[in-house]
This record gives sequence, C-alpha cells and structure tokens, in this order.
Amino acid sequence: MISSLLCVPEKGGPVFCNKRRASSGRSIARGIPIMLTVMVAAGSLILVASDAAPDRIPSFVTWSAENIAAASSGDAFRGSLLAKRCDHCHGAEGFSPVASTPNLAGMNMLSIWKQLEDFRSHKRRSRPMEPIAESLTPRDVADVVSYYAELPVFPDPQDNRVFPGMQPEAGRAAVAARLVTFGDGERGIPPCQSCHGPVAYRVGVPSLMAQNGDYVLNQLEMFASRSRSNDINLPMRTIAALLSEDERHALAEYYGAGLGLQPAGSSGSK
Amino acid sequence: MNWRKIRIFVFTLLALCLIPATRYYQIDEPLLKLLRGSNHVDPLSLHLSGEFVENNLGTEQDADGSVTVRMIAQQYLFVPHCILVPAGVPVHLKITSADAVHSLTLNGTNYAVKTLPGTISLAELQFPHAGDYKTVCREFCGAGHYAMRSEFKVVPRDQFPALRAGERGACVLQ
Repeated sequence: MISSLLCVPEKGGPVFCNKRRASSGRSIARGIPIMLTVMVAAGSLILVASDAAPDRIPSFVTWSAENIAAASSGDAFRGSLLAKRCDHCHGAEGFSPVASTPNLAGMNMLSIWKQLEDFRSHKRRSRPMEPIAESLTPRDVADVVSYYAELPVFPDPQDNRVFPGMQPEAGRAAVAARLVTFGDGERGIPPCQSCHGPVAYRVGVPSLMAQNGDYVLNQLEMFASRSRSNDINLPMRTIAALLSEDERHALAEYYGAGLGLQPAGSSGSK
Repeated sequence: MNWRKIRIFVFTLLALCLIPATRYYQIDEPLLKLLRGSNHVDPLSLHLSGEFVENNLGTEQDADGSVTVRMIAQQYLFVPHCILVPAGVPVHLKITSADAVHSLTLNGTNYAVKTLPGTISLAELQFPHAGDYKTVCREFCGAGHYAMRSEFKVVPRDQFPALRAGERGACVLQ
C-alpha cells in the first residue's frame, strides 16, 4: 500500500505502480479501499494543517549542490542573446538607465538566479519581473545569469547609465563607510561588506559593488517594512529594521556613488 | 620481556587519554549528536519546513509555564535578533546553525551554546532578574563575526504578555 502511495504518475497514464496489477479488474476493485484510506488520510491531514498557522516560507530556493550546479552551468553566449529582452530596463551593458532599476553587470550568478526563481514563485513581488521570470525556462535563467555575471563592473562611460551617481556629503559618506566596514557591534549590525563584497560573499548574496543608490534604498525600505520578504532566515529584514532612516539613505548614496567598488577604508571611500 | 618498551607504551596511552580529558568541554553535546546522526535538521532547508520556519522562531509559551525559544545562528546574525522571555521561568533554548559553527554566549558569563549546522543544540536557561542580557558569538565564523550579537530582553513574569497558541513573543518586528 505504501509503495502505491509513492508512485509517480506516468505521462498520460493513471497513478499505478505496478502495471500488471492495474490491468486486471480484480486488483482495481482491491484498490478501492486503498484509495478510500488515502482520501480519508489526506482529508485528516488537511484538517490538522488548517488547525495550526501555515508556515511562512520566504523562498523555495535552497542552496543545495544541485541548485548551485544548475544555476552556474549556463551558456553565456546564449544568455547574451536572451538578454536583449532585458536591455531596455537593465541597460545594454548591465547598467540601467534609471536609478530605481538594478544594475546587473558583474552580479553573482547565484543571486540573480535566486531572484528570478523567487519572481517565478511570486515570493518576491514585482509587476514587470514576475511575468518575465515565468516565461523563462530553467535553462534560459541559467544562461542569462551567466551572461550578466561575466559583464565587467566598469562600463563604457558613454553608455546611457546613471551609475555612479553624485558623491555623497563627507559626513554621510563617513557614516556609511563605517557601517560598510565595521557595522555596528553595539546594535548587532554586521558590516555590509562581509556578505555583499568586495571583502566576502555569502552564498546567493548580491554584490553591491556597482548598484544604483535608489534601488538599494528602495530594497532596504521594503525589507524594513517587510513588503519584501524573500531573504532566507530573515537576515536583511532584521538588519534593515535595525538601521535608522538616515543610515539607509547614507548607505544608498554610498553604494550609488560607486564607493562600494573598493573595500571601505581604502582611499576610495575618503 | 622488554619492560622499558611496555612502560613507554602504557605512558603514551595514558598521555593520549589525557588530551580528551583536559579538553572535555569541547567534546560537547551538539558535536556528539552530529557524529551520532541524531537530532538532525537539514541546515539548507530550515526555511522550508520543520520547527525552524520563520514564523516559528522566537518564544513559545509551554503548557507548564516554561517557555521554549527557537533561534537560528547564521553568518552574521542570531535570528530573531531580540528575544522576549519572562524572568524566573525555565527557558528551553533550541538553536541550530544555517551555515558555519557559531557559539551563543551570554555576556559576563562563561556559558556558551555551540551551534553546528545539521544538529539542534538544546540548553536549559533561567534568567533570575529582569533586564537586557546581551549575547555574542564566541566561535569565529567569518568576516562579520565580531558584530554578531543579539539580546535577550527579560521582563518580570507578570509583565510577560500571555501568548496565544501559535504566537511568538519578540521584541522586534517579526
């Protein structure tokens, strides 16, 4: 009976494990009580499940070896052809012409892959991106991702882009540089560059080296207000809520001005 | 019989026995559990199912008046970041790691709960007085290790809100 539960339906056929059994009428009659049992069990499961609060799942992505292999095995040339669709918003060289749209040039493969998967499963909400992600096959996603990962973070200056933006005021840049380098131990805020580069990266975390300021600010505010909640195990929702309004603005200006291209504390951040 | 060789052998054996004896505090419960394969959780899919899904983290009121606290340690945060618990009540702490080895230490004490990916560490705590108990990570876990801190906000027992079933006490937005 258990083996019949574990069976996978074949294409265009009924769910039967053993075809010889399925072909004889007697065994189908024998299967009726089994089916009834299954239905009762499923019904009681639904009742039990509705009693407790449903699990809040931030994202269906896990960083298993298979997923990482699938995300990093794309063909960048095919991706470059597919990415023609993305040029209008994300720029021909991965640098977008609008500050509220993310730059994708040089972004880590796994981070774009995860965001596309989350758009596809509607765990991250975006009116333009959800239908686009739904229309891509897993291979398309891997290809596009490997194309953007290969683009250089130093683009053609004549390209139509907004990055890098205005240099922030010295005081605000210092606040941001401190958060980027050291975080704030008193409040338990880890330094940005220990996960978002260029010092270190966690798996699936986007690089912020060449990201638009407005986009960074929007995302921080959405994480703080929980309107974006696809971070696995709540890191960004926690950190964004711990940051003050001024600090979020300072960080956005800091990254938007291209100061994140070098580790903070080097001459670039002064 | 070469008594000299036997003597050297016996003393070497005794010296080898001393190594785990002096470092007994490092052969701790979660490590043994990990080696035995019991108390297993998949560190990669904590967010998908099981008791460490995000709406199950934090303080849970048990029937006997004690509370259960579930936490995840990850690079470089303890989640939830701030935990509300009542004073003078047994706290059953269940903590696991999503990535590296971490160690939850209460400031001002030498008490630490080591957390390993793949196993649930259990600890029994009881906070005698109300107040803020800061915690830090004591196991070097990466570039942001030194900023990996959180706190237990301990409130008097009568001020601890009566939690309904499925509700998690937290002093931060959860």
